[in-house]
Amino acid sequence: MPYSASLRRTVPNLLDNLLVAAYLLPTLFGLILVLPFGKSIGDKLAGRFEIMGTERGRITAGLQIITFFGFAVSAQTFWISSKISEGGDFCSSSAVFNCDDLIGNNDLNVDPVFGLSWGMIGMVIFALLLFMVLVLKNEPNGEYTERFLNFGSMITAAGILVIMLLISYEIQEGKICLYCTTAHIANVSALAGFLRLRKLHEDKSLWKAKPNKD
Amino acid sequence: MKGNLRRDDNAGVVGNAALSVASLFFIAIMIIAFTANPVAIGTDVGERAPDVEGKAYNGTSWVEFDFESYFDTEWEEGNKSGQWVAIIFMDTDCPYCQQSASSQSQWASTYSSNNPNWNGPHVNFIASATELDIQGHESDRAEIQEFRSDYNHNFPYVDDIDQDNMKEWGIPGTPNYFLIQPDGIIAWVSDNSNEDLEDAILRLTPQDGA
Repeated sequence: MPYSASLRRTVPNLLDNLLVAAYLLPTLFGLILVLPFGKSIGDKLAGRFEIMGTERGRITAGLQIITFFGFAVSAQTFWISSKISEGGDFCSSSAVFNCDDLIGNNDLNVDPVFGLSWGMIGMVIFALLLFMVLVLKNEPNGEYTERFLNFGSMITAAGILVIMLLISYEIQEGKICLYCTTAHIANVSALAGFLRLRKLHEDKSLWKAKPNKD
Repeated sequence: MKGNLRRDDNAGVVGNAALSVASLFFIAIMIIAFTANPVAIGTDVGERAPDVEGKAYNGTSWVEFDFESYFDTEWEEGNKSGQWVAIIFMDTDCPYCQQSASSQSQWASTYSSNNPNWNGPHVNFIASATELDIQGHESDRAEIQEFRSDYNHNFPYVDDIDQDNMKEWGIPGTPNYFLIQPDGIIAWVSDNSNEDLEDAILRLTPQDGA
């Protein structure tokens, strides 16, 4: 392959990977925060961010990051499917890591029941989760707390079934869509976060703990 | 009356969260709406033509067919340099397809950049050969090759014996014609039209002095 042609393929590939990383890295950071071993990072950040001073605050902050970037990457996939329908290509630079063949596939890029774009469904779901996380963060002892913890856990658990369906599409096509995978990771991370928050909520002393001011 | 009113201490928090998320959602939708112009994929005029997949016979061998390679998404209406596509869905055993096959070879040579008398854009002809679910319509690749040769067609024949492309395009019967702009948007459909493909080419393609 001539050098110029090779460069033309490499540059979009690099930008594409950077864009995926811009969604994936914060999502993984959010996942670390919601997991038990994120405590050391939370403690280090507690001086600057008061919310990190408690277990509940750390998990809630992690969930906020996860749901926000889950929403953002879903919006990106919805945008990609719209651009592909215009006739453009976006991320088809690699044979395996190729989201155009999945997001651009009319049979696979919509849900089989209502025909809604998976990207749009992701946006709605993550927006709903983000709303619940914001309420939990600002009013942790409010009347909606238990309902939202259960609802968030149920939505993200149901998301696992959708993820399995979408992974079956990837296996069928022999392609991997990194944007979709990032959204899947966000859903699994959010499930972990909601389950941990629910468990924490059962222990009222931990749930109501105040940050250590020392 | 007063006794029925209940104070909701969480209303402010819920309202603020709802407003923040709704704003975020609205901004995302606006960005998508302003930066993308989605075109529906389908077989009606104005829609983006669905893909045509399979192996194609080019006169010497069966090779992987790349339908997308025929299109230039940057093409703008009125641009005479873009190449148009005429796709024919047919069955080698269909009598109507056999009757119209001679006209097709004539059209393919007339509306070609190789014809000095044609002052319009090059029209690429493609045939998608299927096997209709009718007794006596059994087909195979050898029959497709023979049909192509019998009618002196020099355009590619895509093997659609499994009817995949036919189903994807929603073809009710054969022959069925589509004229597609160089950007992949369907310009004309033969179904429910009194016009034939040749008239559609003359009417829709930009021509010098027209």
